[in-house]
Amino acid sequence: MLPIVLLSILGLVVLFLGFQKSKNLLLPATLLVLAIVLVANFLHWNDMPSLYFKNMLFENKFTMAFSGIVIFSAFLIVALTRGFVDDESAQPAEYYTLMLFSLVGAVMMIGFENLIMLFVGIEILSVSMFILTGSDKKNLRSNEAALKYFLMGAFATGIMLFGMALLYGATGSFNLTAIKGYVMANNAPSAMLYVGLLMLLIGMLFKVSAAPFHFWTPDVYDGAPTIFTTYMSTIVKTAGFAAIYRLLSGSFSGIYSFWWMTLAVITVLTLLAGNITAVYQTSFKRMMAYSSISHAGYLLLSLTALTNQSQSAIVFYSLAYSIATISAFGVLMLVAKETGVHSYENAERFEAFNGLGKKNPLLAFVLTVSMLSLAGIPLTAGFWGKFFVFSSAADRGLTWMLVIAILMSTVGIYYYFKAIIAAYMREGELSAIKVSPFYRLILIATTIITLVFGLMPDFLKGLV
Amino acid sequence: MDFSGFLNNLTPATGFFYFLSFLTILTGLMVVLSKNPIHSVLYLIATFFCLSGHYVLLNAQFLAAVNIIVYAGAIMVLFLFVIMFLNLKQEDEESKTNLTKIAAMVTGGTLFLIFVAVFRKTQFGAFNAYSFDSQVGMVESLGEVLYKDYLLPFELASILFLVAMIGAVMLGRREAGDRHF
Repeated sequence: MLPIVLLSILGLVVLFLGFQKSKNLLLPATLLVLAIVLVANFLHWNDMPSLYFKNMLFENKFTMAFSGIVIFSAFLIVALTRGFVDDESAQPAEYYTLMLFSLVGAVMMIGFENLIMLFVGIEILSVSMFILTGSDKKNLRSNEAALKYFLMGAFATGIMLFGMALLYGATGSFNLTAIKGYVMANNAPSAMLYVGLLMLLIGMLFKVSAAPFHFWTPDVYDGAPTIFTTYMSTIVKTAGFAAIYRLLSGSFSGIYSFWWMTLAVITVLTLLAGNITAVYQTSFKRMMAYSSISHAGYLLLSLTALTNQSQSAIVFYSLAYSIATISAFGVLMLVAKETGVHSYENAERFEAFNGLGKKNPLLAFVLTVSMLSLAGIPLTAGFWGKFFVFSSAADRGLTWMLVIAILMSTVGIYYYFKAIIAAYMREGELSAIKVSPFYRLILIATTIITLVFGLMPDFLKGLV
Repeated sequence: MDFSGFLNNLTPATGFFYFLSFLTILTGLMVVLSKNPIHSVLYLIATFFCLSGHYVLLNAQFLAAVNIIVYAGAIMVLFLFVIMFLNLKQEDEESKTNLTKIAAMVTGGTLFLIFVAVFRKTQFGAFNAYSFDSQVGMVESLGEVLYKDYLLPFELASILFLVAMIGAVMLGRREAGDRHF
């Protein structure tokens, strides 16, 4: 509850800081706000699970852990913005405010107890993302991405809203517990409930870019400014999966036999579409977009299983994935800026990393660790993320899905290693890139977190 | 039951309901079928008025008023403006392949079939006419629900609108080198 209130109020404060002539205060102010919210989020860690505002908002360790991941990721990403100082047409006050407000939406999606809260949360998050996608106004691809995202997103929202209306028609309530009560009390729930649930799921799966609702993802992630691509591929995904988990486990675990097959098919499609298409990409940024689709598939695998382990599995996986993605994009932003001086087309391709290992050993190491983590190689957090997800699926006995998932993660190793090979084995004229101390600190921190969780995963797993 | 018997058994409310439904479907079809986009918009306004009639029948008087003010008023005027700006007079033949058309037909038809099946199977709850509160759709009871039970989402909707406003200003602001209209 505290994060929502604080983020709403302090977001306004940051917006008004934009009236000042000097823009230097904005970055530290936003970081301070996020640090305060992060602390406030964990203040009630040891309390009993509780409901706030007339059963609108739910808080327990799971939601707090997820809000924590989202706010922490936002902190790291904001730290990587460098205050937008090198771009004259940038409007940093608006960007930071939109980021803070979008976090309000993310926290609402994580802790919703009422479908209305879920809807308002998703809308706040999506609308901020539409705007941030199109924030590079002079870039035609950014404009296209924003328009595409907006139109598709509006459709998905419409379908989702229709689903909620049907659920209300069937159960007479928007409340998760009341819906669960209805599902438990009726042996044969009305057909409206089934259709409503499916439509609601379609809308939410669109937001996390699961196949076959993923077609917008590569264009949007590719067209958006890289810093906001990072934001979308971590925070929107994390919040979306928390919301789907809360919905399915909170209300619909009673009709598991109805929805599991649908979700299983979507999971397999997502894994196949994401991993196989990623192999053919020549642009690193576009490859990361497809890789985010494939990671949505792994997270969905854990949701399809929906065992007692799923909860901690998706918390761990989201954290590992977010941290690794942030460091990968952090390196890409530096390299693309350096390469972009010579040739604009090559700035975001794999070739941009050629020769990175020689002159910039630190950046190459950070990139390597993040790629290894995304690929799920042992000694990184990503390995344990995949391990927990796979073991939850094994618990449920979904062997055939497990086989596909493991096959697909070996495909994943191929395209993640393309970046590592480019960095260490290819010759390139990349000179030493100047990295500001703070930026360096953030990259080192994400790498250390990835390695620490890779060495002792129980540290986090025991908490939730 | 033959048709005249059906007509004789109609209460005024059900008669009105059938008449409104007929009008809604008719105007809705006309939105899609008419060639001129301006006519489509005008038919859409008529559809919204019919829907407002349905809201009144469902005891949702406030919703009926808001529907007319917001949709038939504000949003449709925007539609008209946009259409006039784009100047869509000439009838552009749509360049859709047959495959797209067939795919759209199959998808739309499947959805339609599912909905027909669902609503045929659904048992809608009966209501008690004596204990029913006829004031349920008025502003007063709505306000009580909105400011008591749904206070948090109601307040947070303001964040949503603020975000949209910031975005409109940010994206619409004229840059240094932009063209002046």
